[in-house]
Amino acid sequence: MPARSASKKKSLPCQGRGRVRLVCADEPPVLAYLTGYRRGTDFPYPGESLKMSKANTKPSASRRDFLKTATATASAAVAAQLSLPAVHAAGSDVIKVGLIGCGGRGTGAAENVLSAAPNVKIVALGDVFEGPLKHCRERLTKFAQSNRVKQLGNSVELSDSNCYQGLDAYKGVLSSEANYVILATPPGFRPIHLEAAVAAGKTIFTEKPVGVDGPGIRKVLKAYEEALNKNLAIVAGTQRRHQRAYLETLKKIHDGAIGDLVGGRAYWNQTTLWKRDRQKGMSDAAYQIYNWYAYVWLCGDHIVEQHIHNLDVLNWAFGTHPVKAVGMGYRVPRDKGYGAIYNFFAIDYEYPKGVHALSMCRQITGCANEVGEYLVGTKGMCHVNAYNINGKGLFTRKQLDTHTDPYVQEHTDLIASVRSGKPLNELKTVAESTLTAIMGRMSAYTGKAITWDMALNSKENTYPEGLTLDMSLPEPEVPTPGKTKFV
Amino acid sequence: MSKITQNSARRTQNSQATRRDFLKTTAAASAVVATQLGLPAVHAAGSDRIKVGLIGCGNRGRGAAENVLSSASGVQIVALGDAFAEPLKNACELLTKFVQRQEIKDRDNTVDLPESRCFVGLDAYEKVIRCPEVNYVILATPPGFRPIHIEAAVAAGKNIFAEKPVAVDGPGIRKVLAACEEAKSKGLAIAAGTQRRHQRAYLETLQRIRDGAIGELVGGRCYWNTNTNTKRLAKPGTPDVAYQIRNWYGYPWLSGDHIVEQHVHNLDVLNWAFAAHPVAVVGMGYRVPRDPGFGPIFNFFAVDLEYPKGIHALSMCRQISYCANEIGEYLVGTKGMCHVNAFEINGKRLYTDKEKRKHPNPYVQEHTDLIESIRSGKPLNELKNVAESTLTAIMGRMSAYTGKRVTWEQALNSKEQLMPDSLTWDTPMPVPPVATPGKTPLV
Repeated sequence: MPARSASKKKSLPCQGRGRVRLVCADEPPVLAYLTGYRRGTDFPYPGESLKMSKANTKPSASRRDFLKTATATASAAVAAQLSLPAVHAAGSDVIKVGLIGCGGRGTGAAENVLSAAPNVKIVALGDVFEGPLKHCRERLTKFAQSNRVKQLGNSVELSDSNCYQGLDAYKGVLSSEANYVILATPPGFRPIHLEAAVAAGKTIFTEKPVGVDGPGIRKVLKAYEEALNKNLAIVAGTQRRHQRAYLETLKKIHDGAIGDLVGGRAYWNQTTLWKRDRQKGMSDAAYQIYNWYAYVWLCGDHIVEQHIHNLDVLNWAFGTHPVKAVGMGYRVPRDKGYGAIYNFFAIDYEYPKGVHALSMCRQITGCANEVGEYLVGTKGMCHVNAYNINGKGLFTRKQLDTHTDPYVQEHTDLIASVRSGKPLNELKTVAESTLTAIMGRMSAYTGKAITWDMALNSKENTYPEGLTLDMSLPEPEVPTPGKTKFV
Repeated sequence: MSKITQNSARRTQNSQATRRDFLKTTAAASAVVATQLGLPAVHAAGSDRIKVGLIGCGNRGRGAAENVLSSASGVQIVALGDAFAEPLKNACELLTKFVQRQEIKDRDNTVDLPESRCFVGLDAYEKVIRCPEVNYVILATPPGFRPIHIEAAVAAGKNIFAEKPVAVDGPGIRKVLAACEEAKSKGLAIAAGTQRRHQRAYLETLQRIRDGAIGELVGGRCYWNTNTNTKRLAKPGTPDVAYQIRNWYGYPWLSGDHIVEQHVHNLDVLNWAFAAHPVAVVGMGYRVPRDPGFGPIFNFFAVDLEYPKGIHALSMCRQISYCANEIGEYLVGTKGMCHVNAFEINGKRLYTDKEKRKHPNPYVQEHTDLIESIRSGKPLNELKNVAESTLTAIMGRMSAYTGKRVTWEQALNSKEQLMPDSLTWDTPMPVPPVATPGKTPLV
């Protein structure tokens, strides 16, 4: 199909073709992750990767590239001071993508950007581990051979020298020729990466969530302001905001289709999610990053990592964030290897004007499952993810099949905003939705009512101080409502 | 309709069948005559004495007996029953002291509790119910026993004040609903201990809601988030059944878990407001580590209640100290909101604190209303309402225990019977494991 021209005005992202993943939007990448890395015969990491790096006597790429970072940051900063979008400042329309976080979602996002617009190149990769880096490079190289990518004139230009490994890999990617970075590591790293990417003047596609604690969100909100000043474009991986059916449904809601909103509900109740077992020779830090979903400092717990999608829809519908949360949750006994995260949450969110919404999320196999959002108005109801208002569906199944893949559309929109000189900046929105989830978690963990300001100003910094890959880290304790303190 | 007009309406109606049945069940013939003559249902010189048998002599039972003594004239406590001797003895002493109060004497109310009408044991309820003197029973044992007691009291033709909840499982609810029908056909009067339905401020607030003060109802919330319930003492080495009855709150077969035992109050208000029960629920809950001697109940629940027409309401209850506490109910309508337990509609309180202090004590009022309904020959029967509110709570518990969505029919027809058929002190009663959502089956 013809690509969207760069000059095309941004409207509803309904152009293009592609299949929309309607429900459980995050599942395909997760499955890909699992099938790619867990079940493959050539399981590429991390035991192997650690062994390899021991055998490898060359200095690591990340160390070398760390030195480059300073100059790259400086020149980007100059461009930013001139108020020119970074892409244009480079005097070229070519989107040069650096991917930070080469797991299933990162690799998927790289494929999405290659499918999103013409003149896109993948020019750098970064990951903590060698395995996903290698696997991602192979997969993208293969993907670049697909007709769609070729038709768009897009390519993957990766060599050993622009594939960075280690905790500092993101610095390598930011120092590369990339002008567009995809941030797809575990969420705990996101505030650091956002801060650095904004400082380096990059266009950013950031996966959700964008933090796991109050200090992280404060860092992100600061980066948001700086990005606004620098005219940087930022889009977040809350892809429902780029999904035509969601956009049209929410537009009708905002136009008053069900009157004033007086309630809502959001659910992500699903089966038990993956875990990864510790491999031989792994340090605590390496293991926790490898098995990141189980650790609050990396994942934020599943209410933050996954349910944020649905909470984002509520915030979007209400046009604001909650003022207070009273939550309940705990950890029904589960296998070892799930760290200390909970496996269910139920949160009563209070929005302004005394409007309440219910949030439920669960990751326990054998229970009632539902993923979606509902709105209650003075003139009716909306089942948002069914695009159904007062019992009437807005789209037929056939129509929905023609809608663009929102995972691709989010990049299309971001690139169009860069090329048109009208940069999108979704960072505040996604930071607020992330903090919405964090305040829910805080309330469930402590049993306390948590206000927005408490969550935002929380002193609980979950990130290990002076993190190194060979670091010893304690296994966290399961939080106990009534005992765990709010910090 | 206000409570007062409801009662007037009751007085103005006449039902021959009802009166005939009343004759069978009490010896108070002259009260019936008074009613037939359309006289106000005032106490007629002690000839329609309410003779109370109290079954379950714990704090709530003894409190209810005090309430009934304060609620009307011509009331006498004539029999007591409890599984254990000690609470019975306590209740007997405290009630004997209570009737020495001037306001009780003024009402011509007394206790008459010879040892021959004080029954101890698991079968004490039968003996109280069989007392020919008793025409009004207060059922205040742990809720697991309630269906059996209600069934027996209805069979014996007694008027009933039944504490909430009225059951702990589906089979129990079915027994209660059958008893409800039988009670209706016998013209028996039954009030339930969901006292908000006898509380003037609740009645008037709910009346305004029904009159459209906040438009059509489109949502609601209710909470009973409170501190940890501490276990009672049972002597070490106490056999299973005795131990568990002593510490009854911790065992689902006796208490139904706290969502049933306590939160039923708030769920009852939602059902009352919506004039319906939920059609399905999806619940979550578990047991944050607690004193292992406390039995296997959960200490928190959050339940998404689905009422007819796709209307949802949230239920939350928790018994964990040092958490955010709230007890109450909220309604959301197309034209506003109601904070029910604050008697506040669209930000405006219906009463000043001073006004509220003048309102009758609802724990007394529920007996006043019940007795008046008996004496007026127009018996109240609240059993279906309280059974439905109890089942609402049970289905929430079932959903949280199993992780499954539970429909009203599934809960009502559930085969999970928690109370053994013929309980003795020697019945083996191993402590069941804590329920595990995703593993515990829906039965």
